[in-house]
Amino acid sequence: MSDPIPYHSIKVDEKKCIGCVVCMKVCPTKAIRIKEKKAAVNAERCIDCGECYRACPYGAITPLTTKTSDITRFKIKVALPSPVLYSQFGSNIMPDQILNALKAIGFDYVYDESLACEMISIAIEEYLERNKSPRPIISSTCPVVVRLIQRLFPSLVSLIIRMEPPREIAAKNLKKELSKEHKISEQDIGIFHITSCPAKMVSINKPETMEKSYLDGAISIKEIYNQLMAQLKKEEHNFILQTQSQASGIGIGWAISGGEIRGIKQDASVSVSGVHDTIRILSDVESGKIKNIEYLECLICPDGCIGGPLTVENRFLAKSHILKLIRKFGRKNRIDISYVKQLYDKNFFSFERNIQPKPFPPLDPDKNEAIKKLKKKERILKNLPGINCGVCGAPDCESFAEDLVKGEKGLTIGRCVFLGE
Amino acid sequence: MEQETILSEEFEITGGDFINGGMASCRIKNILKEIGIDAEIMRRVAIASYEAEMNVVMYAKKGKMKLILTPHRIVIKVEDEGPGIPDIELAMQPGYSTATPEMREMGFGAGMGLPNIQKNADIFNINSTVGKGTNLQIVINLNNKNV
Repeated sequence: MSDPIPYHSIKVDEKKCIGCVVCMKVCPTKAIRIKEKKAAVNAERCIDCGECYRACPYGAITPLTTKTSDITRFKIKVALPSPVLYSQFGSNIMPDQILNALKAIGFDYVYDESLACEMISIAIEEYLERNKSPRPIISSTCPVVVRLIQRLFPSLVSLIIRMEPPREIAAKNLKKELSKEHKISEQDIGIFHITSCPAKMVSINKPETMEKSYLDGAISIKEIYNQLMAQLKKEEHNFILQTQSQASGIGIGWAISGGEIRGIKQDASVSVSGVHDTIRILSDVESGKIKNIEYLECLICPDGCIGGPLTVENRFLAKSHILKLIRKFGRKNRIDISYVKQLYDKNFFSFERNIQPKPFPPLDPDKNEAIKKLKKKERILKNLPGINCGVCGAPDCESFAEDLVKGEKGLTIGRCVFLGE
Repeated sequence: MEQETILSEEFEITGGDFINGGMASCRIKNILKEIGIDAEIMRRVAIASYEAEMNVVMYAKKGKMKLILTPHRIVIKVEDEGPGIPDIELAMQPGYSTATPEMREMGFGAGMGLPNIQKNADIFNINSTVGKGTNLQIVINLNNKNV
């Protein structure tokens, strides 16, 4: 069977889209063109970063996350909230309250993802110690960064840490434990990530490193927010604050950029967030400019997952709330390190299969033809005004020239308003 | 015998211009991506050309970097108008560097530039005349699958 069109976590609502070019201009991989006054996404180039969703002034880009109504098809429903959720309700609402509220709105079990984050911090350290492969080793937590590397920096694929992110590790553990406890099939257990990011849906529906994801869906924080808020208000008066929450500041800290490296003791680590800075640093790694760095944490959203497009709280306040929680819950490991090492030895954290590079197709599959097209593209580019206005429907003159030499149907140089028909 | 050239591009490098330093090797990297050169080979070219370019930026007045593509290999030629290297054997030793403290502060001058180029090249030639400049030739073979 040939590979179907890549699955994506966002879609354009053609009724709302007016072809205003805003999404096209912000797309970091130049995946969007305006065709007949509508945004058209090239599925091969899209990496699900959500920049278009953030930027669209007309609400025409829709994230395709799991609806809360979809969870009922499972006998046991489990919520796996990202620590980002703890930053969304102000600084007086504690993680335990939020976990309880999740349970109250219909989940049978709630598992704090920050515990798995803490576990992975220990495992990363173990990996760095045992693995002497070329540096820097790059985090695999952000599914968009993984796709960005596959597409834009295919030569760096081998640097990605061969270890599943916390959400998958937590779900893997939960499926095993709960099916044993309740003596039911793993298929009857539905595990849902409560997420700030639509791209998690891609890593669930089309995982790169395993046959099938251990997660069964991702529910947007935006979608579940009102329900949770109402529940938290209801519980306000009869809730006895439990301060014995199992999470530590190490795990909760994964919600913000730098969280991963905060949890490991490796000094030569760097964290970068935001799509443009991530592209910049990966480009430097590719040229060998980045030296003496052991571990590189890249997160595609500004400030990390708290900057995810599906959050509700103001990003800067959210960051402040998380920092407060990190201080409150401390930096002492709550997870048994020897237990993590045992799991590590059993390859519990490892990828089932390696990530493959998926570079953008060259100008032509035949190298000689590609060179001819490259020269033609340069000639065309010299004639174009170079002001990257986007009126032709391509994000910049270079993309327009590229579309022309690739022979896009019906496209002529006359589409440029400055050159005229 | 020199193989048939199918692509040849030349880029200017300005000595002391640390802001634009790396532009030529970045441009070469993008060209190779657009014509579909294997990622691992592209990375070796990117690293070798970046090191060579930064050597010009750090030590020379100006220089030129040329990309030559033939059906079986990628050749990078770098010519600079600089002080030249009095002892090439010494300069090729890992860790040997004549970088100034300022350069070191910017993260350069670890003495790994030339050894790093050699490590990533299939053939590496270096010629230098003191007081005139240095010429490098870096050859990276393409795999059969790229031909």
